[in-house]
Amino acid sequence: MKTRPMLTLDDCRKVSAAAEAEAKRNNWIVAIAILDDGGHLLHLVRMDGASPFNARTAVAKGKTAAETRRSTLVWEERIKGGRNSMLGMPKITPVQGGLPIVIEGTCVGGVGVSGVQSHEDEQIAAAGIKALG
Amino acid sequence: MLGIRIFTAAACAAALVASTAFAQVPPADEKNPNEALPEKHTYTPYGETIKLDMAKKVAEAALAESTKRGWAMCITVVGPTGDLVYFAKMDDCQYGSISISQHKARAAAKFRRPTLAFERLLGRGDYFRYLTSLDDVIASRGGNPIVVGGKIVGAIGVSGGTGSQDEVISQAGVAAAK
Repeated sequence: MKTRPMLTLDDCRKVSAAAEAEAKRNNWIVAIAILDDGGHLLHLVRMDGASPFNARTAVAKGKTAAETRRSTLVWEERIKGGRNSMLGMPKITPVQGGLPIVIEGTCVGGVGVSGVQSHEDEQIAAAGIKALG
Repeated sequence: MLGIRIFTAAACAAALVASTAFAQVPPADEKNPNEALPEKHTYTPYGETIKLDMAKKVAEAALAESTKRGWAMCITVVGPTGDLVYFAKMDDCQYGSISISQHKARAAAKFRRPTLAFERLLGRGDYFRYLTSLDDVIASRGGNPIVVGGKIVGAIGVSGGTGSQDEVISQAGVAAAK
């Protein structure tokens, strides 16, 4: 039987704290969501001033990254490249700002961020994942 | 003709043929407590959305109580509109509780009352079955408004154990906001 790594709440706290610190360092106000590889929400913070829409979008981006095991930017670029039919993929949010969490070659979940420019959202997500070492 | 009246049996019969009564509406049941018309409307007013620091404080208190008791829970904190501010799923908590904890928090915020109120009323029987037809109601304890300075700044929702276990953890969170 195969065994594989799995995110714990402690892992999520580390990722979330590092992501929030990255946002604060830049004076950015965002929502940060962490999901497992099945797209189930494990952890979420919405910083003061971030909108309910940001919270929903962070979850949607993180879910897309976790379930498809790809950065949401990959989806954005594919569609931008003319592959419009990708918009028909079930419940994906093809907007930069969602990254998969890959541990020892296995996707264990995803981080989604929403609130600032999309590339800045991704920068925050990346800073969060880096905290897992 | 939207006013609510308590009808006697004779009045009911009269009402059925009266031109102002809609034929589709059955006569009032005088035993139904929902026919009463209260004079006053009492409620706790809404305040500003709970700050993230306060939401974390509430959630940490709930998480600490869960850990102390060895229970695995999902903890949700929302603002007055029921939108997410903080969420945490403890290791090994059942997946169903992710959305249920959010539902409880949302209902407590949007209806400005503990979800225990819905659970108890539904338990009283048929006259309260209408509650399940209201948007976003969840008739299961574990959702409670968070009141700061006399205003509702949000709500906490807990799910993962029995309803009574969820409620204990939810109350531990609420207590941290005071």
